[in-house]
Amino acid sequence: MEAKTVRNLFLAENSIIGTGAFLLGSLVGTGLSGLLNQVVKNIFEVPHTYQVSFSLQAWAVTFLFFALMYGFGMLRAAKIIRHQKVIDLLYDNRKNEEYRFKSCSRSLLVVLLSIAAMVAGVILLGRMLQTQTNEAFLYLGGACLLILVGVYELHRQIPLLLHRFAKQNLRHKYKEENLFFLGQIGRRIHSAGRTMAVVAILLTISLATMFVGLTMGAGYKANMKAYYPYDAGVAIDAPLEKSNMDSIVSFTEEHCGVEDSVSYYLYAVPEKPIEALSLSDYNHLREILGLSPVSMSNNEFLVHCDTWNYMDGIRQGLAQQPEITFNGRTLSAAETPILTEPMEQYQMAGTKGYVLVLPDEAASQFVGEKIRLAMKLEDGGYPELKSDLKQFLNSGKWQPELQSGQQLPEKVTMGVTVKAWGVANSLTGFTAISFCGLYLSIIFIILSCSVLAFEQLSAIDKNQKNYAVIDRLGVPSHRQASLIRRELSTVFLIPLLFPLLLTVLLITGAQFFFGEAILQQGLVPLYGLVTILLFCAIYLTYFGATMFLFKRVILRPEMR
Amino acid sequence: MKEILKLDHIQKYYGNSGNVTKAIQDISFSVQEGEFVGIMGASGSGKTTLLNCISTIDTVSAGHIYLDGTDVTEINEKQIARFRRENLGFVFQDFNLLDTLTISENIALALTINKVPAGEIDGRVREMAGKLNIMDILDKYPYQVSGGQKQRCACARAIINQPKLILADEPTGALDSHSSQMLLSTIQSINEDLGATILMVTHDAFSASYANRILFMRDGAIFTEIRKGGDSRRTFFEKILDVLTMMGGGMSDVR
Repeated sequence: MEAKTVRNLFLAENSIIGTGAFLLGSLVGTGLSGLLNQVVKNIFEVPHTYQVSFSLQAWAVTFLFFALMYGFGMLRAAKIIRHQKVIDLLYDNRKNEEYRFKSCSRSLLVVLLSIAAMVAGVILLGRMLQTQTNEAFLYLGGACLLILVGVYELHRQIPLLLHRFAKQNLRHKYKEENLFFLGQIGRRIHSAGRTMAVVAILLTISLATMFVGLTMGAGYKANMKAYYPYDAGVAIDAPLEKSNMDSIVSFTEEHCGVEDSVSYYLYAVPEKPIEALSLSDYNHLREILGLSPVSMSNNEFLVHCDTWNYMDGIRQGLAQQPEITFNGRTLSAAETPILTEPMEQYQMAGTKGYVLVLPDEAASQFVGEKIRLAMKLEDGGYPELKSDLKQFLNSGKWQPELQSGQQLPEKVTMGVTVKAWGVANSLTGFTAISFCGLYLSIIFIILSCSVLAFEQLSAIDKNQKNYAVIDRLGVPSHRQASLIRRELSTVFLIPLLFPLLLTVLLITGAQFFFGEAILQQGLVPLYGLVTILLFCAIYLTYFGATMFLFKRVILRPEMR
Repeated sequence: MKEILKLDHIQKYYGNSGNVTKAIQDISFSVQEGEFVGIMGASGSGKTTLLNCISTIDTVSAGHIYLDGTDVTEINEKQIARFRRENLGFVFQDFNLLDTLTISENIALALTINKVPAGEIDGRVREMAGKLNIMDILDKYPYQVSGGQKQRCACARAIINQPKLILADEPTGALDSHSSQMLLSTIQSINEDLGATILMVTHDAFSASYANRILFMRDGAIFTEIRKGGDSRRTFFEKILDVLTMMGGGMSDVR
């Protein structure tokens, strides 16, 4: 057969396979996209139903990119085939076995440079986080490039070095079947080393994007609950009469149903850096939030703090000073002295991240210098309510009155919060990032695992022959099974090493820089762990499936 | 001389009750220690099946095979591996060398699997390589050496553990005539100088002429056997051709 005919056969075969794969991929991708969309909306607690979305434009763009990449690769291979001799076509696969050892010192130098590149990348990431201008993107790009180049080179050089060191240690090399194992691994490292390094890069990106996607979703939920626990709230830092809030409730009722509401004061505690809430108001707020009321005696107090980073300080303060005295009256800490449910404590239930809850009688001795209104609305209200309420408060129709004997402060702060508005305005960005993160991670995991699995299974005939040789040489079946496990574990674990290490670094860095901004303690490490476990579950499934197929083909039926 | 191998009425059937193929009908023979026995026959006569049964790669349907007194048809899977490791050496037509290891490592593999101390291995490999004249290719990979050199490497691997029986399945099948002659001389010297017992399957009369005794197989049974005795190799070769002609083999069986 002429080389030209071989080339044409190759082109025809690969065109059919490629087209089939693209069509199948389009179908699966469209389905997966709908499924992931559902997962992400579920994370953000957005009402959703499964629906398949298909965009002809998106499909056409995908096809264009596919055709460019696949077509380029195919045509390049076809060109090589056209210019090859038949003898080369038959035996070229053996050229993979031509080991080209680089000097040990050169490999070590590349390893050191790779580590330096990765460290420099991490430093640039740190600089990026401290930069507020567009320069940050430059740092980000540089950091990603350095880290990925580092990951690639480390995965190219370290297996080579380890393999070489293992072969130089004669006791290890000549121990039982180690020689066979080293041969098998050596072949993979030399002929598929680049593939494994690229897989390592894909896995790094995959782990990072999955971590960002999951943490962003969970962080959003945690912060959302803390920032918007009430359907609507009005906060005015002035000693107004409670009756002033009735007209706000009436105004709201004209636009949407108000199921429940509470007007209350944040009392100023003399000589203490804390505000106070009366127990009845506090319990009413709890009722609105669907929490059970708390009870305490008239000589007790408690602290409500939904911000984890103040918790240690409050605990220490209560341990040092379990009693407080106001106007000659001493109160002791309640049986449960600290409560932590999300109540929004920077505007509504306090302004410092925590609040003191006092018996009504004790609280009434102080001045209610800030007034608040919290409402529970039918169907959660609507986003435009925020602007409607602001317009009402500033329109002049609302004429507030001060409590008797109190003066208007020099500067009055007024705030309106509406949960529906908050959800509508922050969800889009978060869901988009989270969706992209999860989608990319799953695509990259599938891609990497498929490449690894394919790499193993495509060489299965050669492996079958090699294992048949050691079978004849008298290696027992359980040792052969153990060798297969070792071989596949090594091939699957090598590309996983640095991605996992980098992810741990990423989790640590994220906790260091963003941990305090997320209003749920330990959320970043928790979702870092979830990321790693989820990733490992998918990865190990692929590993298990490859192992199963590998053993099934390589081992004789009685040996499996 | 000591009887090293004894086959006692062995049979091998393939297929199920509706469609049975008799690969080996009823074969009995024995091999003495230090003998070089050839097994000849046309394609499909059952010679490779017979070799596979002796080597425990395949199981017999009936009968017994004794190697140095051990009935290999009665031992379990775990014991079979050990048995092969300690008692048998293999040389195959397609060399069965590992492309992933150098020539030296391929030979060493047989020793490492037999748990020979690491300190002894390199010395024994070099000693064996010297005997088989492959010292200069020890650091090369199989794809870098000729077919004859590969087969000598396979021979070195087969005998380095000093097995009781060396089984060779068409060892010259993939070699040119010059390499075949060199290899056959090597196998002969392994037999004569090292005292190895060799059972070689071949359908090539020239290769078979290097053996001391030839068993001729036809349709799964021993048709006849001839011994070299005091004959020259040339005379023995002619005798082999005569038997092949008598067996009714076509020209394809007489190269």
